Amino acid sequence: MSVRVWQLLVVVLAGAVAGCAEDASKMRFAQNAVLAKPVHRKAQAVVEKELEKHFGTPLDSVAWLKLPVNYGKAEGKVKSVDGRSVIVDFNAETSDLEGLNSPELSRAGLLFTSGANQGESFLLASYDPSEKSFETLLPLKTAPAEGDQFVVAGQNLRHGRKLYARHCQHCHGINGDGDGTTAKYLNPRPRDYRLGIFKFTSTNKDTKASRDDLKRIISHGIPGTYMPSFVPMLKDNELAVIVEYIRWLAMRGELEVQLLKDLKNDYAADRARKEAKESKASTSEIENQIAKQLEEYVANPTEGLAAFIETVTGDMVSAWEGAETADTVIMPPVPRVPDTTASRERGKALFVKTDGGKCINCHGPTGRGNGFQTEDFQKNDAAGGFYEKRGLHDAWDQPIKPRDLTRGIYRGGRRPIDIYRRISQGIKGTPMPPVAATVKPEEIWDLVNYVLSVPFESASPKAAKAHSVAGQPSEHGNAN
Amino acid sequence: MSSAKVAKPGKPGGENLVFQRGGFTVRKFWCAFFVFWPIVAIIYSLISSLVPSLGWWFPGPSVTELGQRIDNLFYLILYIVTAVFIGTQIAMGYVLWRASHSKDERAWFSHGSHSLEVIWSVVPSVILLFLALYQMDVWALFRVQAYFPKEARDAPIAEVTARQFEWRIRYPAPGKKLQLKPQPDDLYDVNDLHAPINRAVMIQLRSEDVQHSFFLPHLRVKQDAIPGQIIPIWFKAEKQGIFELTCAELCGWGHYKMRAQLTAEREVEFEAYLKKLQADQNYDGHATPSAVAKKDE
Ligand SMILES: [Cu+2]
Repeated sequence: MSVRVWQLLVVVLAGAVAGCAEDASKMRFAQNAVLAKPVHRKAQAVVEKELEKHFGTPLDSVAWLKLPVNYGKAEGKVKSVDGRSVIVDFNAETSDLEGLNSPELSRAGLLFTSGANQGESFLLASYDPSEKSFETLLPLKTAPAEGDQFVVAGQNLRHGRKLYARHCQHCHGINGDGDGTTAKYLNPRPRDYRLGIFKFTSTNKDTKASRDDLKRIISHGIPGTYMPSFVPMLKDNELAVIVEYIRWLAMRGELEVQLLKDLKNDYAADRARKEAKESKASTSEIENQIAKQLEEYVANPTEGLAAFIETVTGDMVSAWEGAETADTVIMPPVPRVPDTTASRERGKALFVKTDGGKCINCHGPTGRGNGFQTEDFQKNDAAGGFYEKRGLHDAWDQPIKPRDLTRGIYRGGRRPIDIYRRISQGIKGTPMPPVAATVKPEEIWDLVNYVLSVPFESASPKAAKAHSVAGQPSEHGNAN
Repeated sequence: MSSAKVAKPGKPGGENLVFQRGGFTVRKFWCAFFVFWPIVAIIYSLISSLVPSLGWWFPGPSVTELGQRIDNLFYLILYIVTAVFIGTQIAMGYVLWRASHSKDERAWFSHGSHSLEVIWSVVPSVILLFLALYQMDVWALFRVQAYFPKEARDAPIAEVTARQFEWRIRYPAPGKKLQLKPQPDDLYDVNDLHAPINRAVMIQLRSEDVQHSFFLPHLRVKQDAIPGQIIPIWFKAEKQGIFELTCAELCGWGHYKMRAQLTAEREVEFEAYLKKLQADQNYDGHATPSAVAKKDE
């Protein structure tokens, strides 16, 4: 082939590659009405500016120290200097050395806390774990002396971003809005983190997901959905940094949603048009008025934007921190009630009772997920009124089906304790309600025993025996 | 060489003309080119097989006896094609070398030679027939369930279901047999298939969505998983260790995610693993914490 043809081919291929990837250097912002009604473009600009200030972009992320995110931090001191590379010793008690031993460290921030470079920060160009030496991206102005102390920070966030971009982003989206390039082909849709809600947790109904909950989902996958298990491909330290990055994205999304919800009242997208209709003022006058009001709101130190962000993030911090405390984890006060026929019968009786847990209303009389609520019009609490389509909806406004319990697929795990937690605390972001207030723990165990027996209800032991696989004749000779 | 001297000058035109195009330098180049490759191949093979520490040779020996036999077949075929490759390249080099020395010698036009055609039909057929017969028992042992070791056939240890993009594994409860349909006491894991060593074990392979391929490179096991079918596979690991289990069929955008592992362990460890799985699966928040420590992080 001639050089020209090659060049053309390269251009076409490059175009094809660029065409199917999003711009990895920019965070996406909510543009649609799914989470909040559209706000005025000037208000939208305010939100985007705030988010960029506190979270940065994927390639230049900001570690907002207020948030309970483990950004990664390692302290150490200089041992010697060899040309441009600095040989160092990390303090033994520093916790995040795992993250440091990876090539992903590159570009983490370095800050000298003593010596001639005190207070100066640099980006790292490379780190060599075997030599324990690093080089900075730009040369140090003054060579550090032996014993100079420094801090390396942010490596977890950077490492997490790289792994997230490789494994998660194409479904969950660059900003965790569950709208990545492959998301539209999936049913159920990938989780949109921006509500800060994760469905399958060990924590109580009012608490966020804990780090362990997120890690469990990534390592076990979610059967019945497109979420696969990422273990053993990802190692423990990699799971840990991905979890941190996801929590960070969730917090970013929460702040975005809260800001949009706050601003939409006063700065709806159609405000100028509406007011122009109602009053004699021209659209441009109203536009100017909006801009002025917004400016005042942003500038007001006590009742303005800053105060609002302060409150929202304060709540967010305590909510995420709360999920890490042991007393929010649901542990059944009594051991599992023995899985006897009598217990299952009791469970079934509770299941079909219309004034108890009301399982039957959604899951149907035999657990097939066909209760009458799936055929009814449901209230839309967020937007008011009713949903257009029949059936249940989740917090993300997506239609959702109650689990068909005969299939034996348990998305949040099949251990008795998993089912207990689902029934006791409900499933966050879904119509599955917590029953702990009205149903006793022993009764929840009866329900667990019944639910776990539903897939086998019709199969008699005799019929199951006849289905032994061992003696199956082979009709396959497929080679690969 | 001598024949080149006695050869009559070629008639102008005709097929001989083709050989007379191009100078002697070009002919010598092609001669050297075709001789160069068999020499490189021989040198490379000798170095890589004599100095295994370089890591140029094929991956290490299989950890199963059947895999070793498959390797032997592979090497046999490799030796045959190597001999053919070297022989044909040298013959071609010789022809080109002779032609590069004489403008006058004419090629022997062999088209339509009955005996030659018989030779080059019969010799490869005999080789292929030999290979076809020679590999039959290995093939039967590998693929035909009736020839699987009896201990494997009688008690499959697990059902492996491939799906986009992971391997879901179902074991029967300790002491029980695997059933076609899930049982209440079945044990589940994902992406980590455990199997005892020094025992022929069978697994049932299924696919939940598209075509996947169950590939254990260290054990030389590769089998497509096909939706709607249950395909038995057996192996007998002879070494403890963790071996790669990957998907060898491009099954979608997340194909690369299907990287799992086979944990081959001693019988007692395998039993302990199933016990641990069982304890984890029955965990109600009150079981002994040690039994579930790993799973319930
Ligand atoms: Cu696959």
